[in-house]
Formats: sequence, structure tokens, C-alpha cells
Amino acid sequence: MRELLEISPGAQRSLFRRYHIGGCASCGFRPEETLAQVCARNENLQVAEVIDYLLTAQEEDRQIQISPAELAEALRDGAARIVDVRTREEFEAARIEGSILLTQDVMNEVLAQWDRSGLIVFADHKGARSMDAAAFFAGHGFAGARALRGGIDAWSQEVDSSIPRYDLE
Amino acid sequence: MSDSLQQRIQEAIANPKNVGELTGADAVGTVGSPDCGDMLRMWIKFKDQDGRRVIDRATFQTFGCETAIAVASVATELISGKTAEEALNLSGADLSAPLGALPPMKIHCAQLVEGALRSALAPEQAIPSPAPATAGAPTLFDQLGLGVEKHVKVVLHTKPS
Repeated sequence: MRELLEISPGAQRSLFRRYHIGGCASCGFRPEETLAQVCARNENLQVAEVIDYLLTAQEEDRQIQISPAELAEALRDGAARIVDVRTREEFEAARIEGSILLTQDVMNEVLAQWDRSGLIVFADHKGARSMDAAAFFAGHGFAGARALRGGIDAWSQEVDSSIPRYDLE
Repeated sequence: MSDSLQQRIQEAIANPKNVGELTGADAVGTVGSPDCGDMLRMWIKFKDQDGRRVIDRATFQTFGCETAIAVASVATELISGKTAEEALNLSGADLSAPLGALPPMKIHCAQLVEGALRSALAPEQAIPSPAPATAGAPTLFDQLGLGVEKHVKVVLHTKPS
């Protein structure tokens, strides 16, 4: 699995979206396991079928992203909610207006009360972790879960330059 | 997952029962680790009723998966009034039965609740935790950063004058 994730970093997201594998420690896998072993202890999934599906992982990753311009348009229409998955320090230093910081309480509220067909955009610094967050919620049935391509850094450059760019130390 | 099962899970997590630490609990059981973001802890308090020692109340706390929250919610209601032995005879499938049959991929969520119950009532029979993901293969839940408080230093870019 380690080698698989090196070749295809998006494979873990795809495994969870389709098969509910790798989302949390209970359904996780060890790096030294083979894909066949993981398939065997998950209801004997057909390895060839899983590989065929994983080959589409890159395309699935593209589909789960939303560009800053697309998000700006959705916000103008009141059709999107933004969940920020960065640290509190980053959130307080620079954030998109109307976004909320993901906490355990927010997560419980999202799972319990938010519309699963609505557009929910996960945002991070540069668009990496938000992909995993969007995949996690997509795997829980949130059809409109998306990740902000390029993160708040791209938002600052492409939509709203008043949002400061930053580095982490 | 069937629409009706999803609806029952939604109803359970919209108004979860018995959430939070139970003061004065007689037994506490934990599976998983809060450090890795996947943990379920259960508190149990007994009372004497008609000459039997039965569960008066059970509560739980967990991070993460909505199915685990839903199963823990219905399970803590289900075991109320049962003796420890009666509760221990319940399988993960029994504990999640009020929600309906879980799909194979979600059965581990019920096993998490069963594990916490056994850890509380019969630690020697506790179910080993499923193979955990390691630092080499972090889970998607890990990437949400919940359960672990991380602190970073933010350095804003200076704008050209």
C-alpha cells in the first residue's frame, strides 16, 4: 500500500469514496499490507476491479475540486458553504468571509444537519489536505463536497487580494 | 447504503442519546486512541433492581464516523436495564440492530461499540482494535486534524509598496 500511495497519492481518497477503506483507523490499512490483503479482509473485493477503479483516481480528484472563480460565483448565488480545515492560527490570520473552522462540534453538526446534496467547499492553505477532507465527507454521502483548488493561497491571488498570503514556520 | 438505513443513522446522530462523560461511573471502556482521531469511550453505571445488579445508564464519547455515533447512541439505550452478563452477550450486530442491518463496510463501526462495551465490562475479553493505520499511511480522518491540537506560526507576506 505504501508503494501504491507513492505512485497514486489520490488512491486513498478513491478507496474511501467507493469502498469505505482508509477513512479512519478502524477501516485503515498498514503501509506494508498489499492491495490484495486489504481487498481480502474487505469482503473479498476483486483486486482487478479495484485496480481498474483506482486508475480513474486522478480524474476523480479533478472532479472533486472547485476553482476559486467557480467558488466565488457560487458564493454570489448563495449556493455554497465553506469549511476551513486549517489550524486556528491560520484561520485567524487569513480566511474567506463566511467560512467556518472545522472543529469536532462543527463536524457533528455537518454530519447531523447539513444538506448532503448542497455544495460544501473545504479549504486549506494550498489545496492538499482539503482534498482528503472533501473525500472523507463524500464517502459519507455528501455529494456536493468539494476542495478549493490551490487553497486560500490561490483564492488570494485569483479572487480577493485583500486576503493576505502567508507561509508557515 | 439503503436510504432507510441512512435515514435512521441521520435520525440517531441528529439527536444522539447519552453523549458525554458519566460522573460516578462504575466502569469505563475505551477502544482506539484519541491521538489518532479514532476513539470510542463508554461509561457505565449500575444500580440494584429486584435483587439484580443492572445497568442504570451508559454514556459514550467518540470522534469521527457518523455510523459509530449512531450505533453507540442506540446501543447505550439498548443495554440499559441489562446485567453485565446480558450486555456482554450482545454482538455488534445486536447492538446496532435498532438501526437495521449495516452494510459490510460499516460493520467495523458496530464492532468499535462492542469493543468499548467489552473493554468496560470484561477487559480480559476485549476485542483487539482493528489494524490501525500508521504514520506511513495516515487516514483521511487524520487529515481533518481533529482530536489533536496543532499550533503553527503564521508569517504574512509583506506586500510590495
